[in-house]
Amino acid sequence: MYTLAATEVDGAHLPVLLVVGLAIFFGTIGAKIFQRLRIPQVVGYICIGLIVGRSGLGLIDAQAIKNLAPFNFFALGVIGFLIGGELHRDVFRKFGTQFFKILLAEGMGAFVVVGVGTGVVIWLVQGDVSMAVAMGLLFGAISSATAPAATVDVLWEYKAMGVLTTMVFAIVALDDGLALALYGIASSVAENITGTGTGSFLRTFGKIAYELLGAVVLGVVSGFILNFLLRKIRQEDGGLGLIIGWMALVIGCALALGMDLIVAAMALGATLTNLAPRRSHSAFSVVESFATPIYVLFFVSVGARLSVGSLPAWMWILVLVYSIGRTVGKMGGAYFGARWAKAAPSVRKYFGLCLFSQAGVSVGLAILASSRFEGEIGNIIILTVTTSTFAMQLLGPPCVKYAIRKAGEIGLNVTEADLIKERDVAAVVDRESPSFNEGTPMKEIFRVIAETDATVYPVVDNEKRLVGVITLAGLKQSFRAEGMSQWLVAIDVMELAPDTIAEKAPLAEAMARMSEQSLEYLPVVESEQDLRLAGVIEVRKVKRLLSQEILRRHRAAEETEGPAPGAIVGQG
Amino acid sequence: MSLANYLKPGQVKILVGKTKAEVLEELIALAGKCFPGVDRDVLSEAIAHRESLMSTGIGQGLAVPHARLDGVTEPMVVVGISKGGVAGYESLDGSGVHVVLLIVAGKGQHEPYLRLLATAVNVLKDPAVRQDIINCSAAEQAYAMLTRM
Repeated sequence: MYTLAATEVDGAHLPVLLVVGLAIFFGTIGAKIFQRLRIPQVVGYICIGLIVGRSGLGLIDAQAIKNLAPFNFFALGVIGFLIGGELHRDVFRKFGTQFFKILLAEGMGAFVVVGVGTGVVIWLVQGDVSMAVAMGLLFGAISSATAPAATVDVLWEYKAMGVLTTMVFAIVALDDGLALALYGIASSVAENITGTGTGSFLRTFGKIAYELLGAVVLGVVSGFILNFLLRKIRQEDGGLGLIIGWMALVIGCALALGMDLIVAAMALGATLTNLAPRRSHSAFSVVESFATPIYVLFFVSVGARLSVGSLPAWMWILVLVYSIGRTVGKMGGAYFGARWAKAAPSVRKYFGLCLFSQAGVSVGLAILASSRFEGEIGNIIILTVTTSTFAMQLLGPPCVKYAIRKAGEIGLNVTEADLIKERDVAAVVDRESPSFNEGTPMKEIFRVIAETDATVYPVVDNEKRLVGVITLAGLKQSFRAEGMSQWLVAIDVMELAPDTIAEKAPLAEAMARMSEQSLEYLPVVESEQDLRLAGVIEVRKVKRLLSQEILRRHRAAEETEGPAPGAIVGQG
Repeated sequence: MSLANYLKPGQVKILVGKTKAEVLEELIALAGKCFPGVDRDVLSEAIAHRESLMSTGIGQGLAVPHARLDGVTEPMVVVGISKGGVAGYESLDGSGVHVVLLIVAGKGQHEPYLRLLATAVNVLKDPAVRQDIINCSAAEQAYAMLTRM
């Protein structure tokens, strides 16, 4: 009999696929439920993971989670790649110094506050100063990392755009590098303090430099190659196979070479977007369209991995101090960093709220620490970090949503397709569009047509019900005989409306129908039963309206940057 | 394009009625007889509706009552001739109506419908031709003249 644990049916692929199916299917359902409750979908994925994972039903056990590891690496790579795509050189030119200052401040803020807090708790409980200092350093370093995946998923879900969003994209990805560097220093010092050291300080640093710089080199070189390939090989599917295949290769190389895969994928994305902004735009769209099930699987397995065991009371205090210290340190550091960098007010006020999520890198470093400091230190670190991750993963995404909402950046990064999806026909119908009663004489019809720029004129009866339409092409037929226009009326020269749409129908349905029938317009009626005319929608006018809305939102996103430092405000 | 494309011998008649209502009823009955697919009541209602919007007495002794109906697949016409003229047709130029062409087409037949209307008007725009047709004493004679042009 098959079970979910792959080990019980060696060689069979069904269990892994069953786990994948379970995770994606129920994760998606969970996300929909949470979206209805106005909670970010990522919390839904993680909660489903909690239910089916180690803390819940145990359907996805440790072995199943291990089997999913390649998918998770790939998901992290996709996230890194898409974050890289946000890092245009003009963003760096504009915000480069701000990135550096805020990153340093928020990372160091968490490091210091968590380090001191956890060190004091351990000293009070254990009475061992050197152990307290060593663990304080390790906890501090681990706490400085932020999980980019859960954070940016919220930004994407709510179509955020603006200065706060730009900062979050850049910094949540870059602070993994800071965390790795801090961990390198902290673990070397801790080894010396506790006398468990096996490697030199320089060696540890060399390894971290290799992990980060090697990943950057790998990403940049592979970015140049991918750009070349996309230029040379034109593919009808937008290059999906090529891009996904290349990304998997780069991620696989990073893993094989022991480099940071997120940084490698981010460097790949950043290189591509800076080498060919236009061509790469479609590459990022292709990956985005492909990415959703991978994200779902990734976050469900994050939830499934979380485990809250029975901890002694003092460990709960440690978890509390770690979590609160990390929150205070990140928020305080972000605030002071933003002030130091003279960042926009929205960054000063809300950036700290976007840094709570904690996952892969923190847990990974905790595991690394537990293998390096075997025994009590290792166990305390693992239990504290995983338990705190449990809370942070659930708390982080709603805080990001709150921050971008307060900063006014939700819904500003929209495309025409997004706007079409979120509107109904009533939102774009032209109610002022001229129409004719069926008895309107031709003289009046010509006068109105001469004075307006519509391409279609609905014809209605005395009860305002739609009976047909007059088009400019159709009207030409009325010139066939001399003087005909003197005795024809609207009902004589109208054509049957090719289709109609109800006011409450989704705009997407209207656009699809016009596209399928090659129509430039659709008369809009009150409902399918009530054929009274509500107005007309014309493709060109809808597109113009949507373009104006996109432009307005992008301008609003630019305005979130506030006045430039030193700008003269209020000259009157 | 000529009326020969649309007319058959039985589709022309010398009118008996004297008033607009009588004449229209006569021609609707003829259309019902000539075109079994056309429902007389529906046609009568459609013609009355069109006349309520604007009279189809287009001047120079001509009237072209017309309507578009569901289920009609080809444009069709019947012609009535009134030697003494039809009373109360409210012609655009105030003159009496002597030749009435009742035209029916399908709802979706925008172009053929207007083409037939234009053909009818073009055929009868010459006053001499019009007078010759009014002077015809038999429907067959009028049919021959209408389809010759």
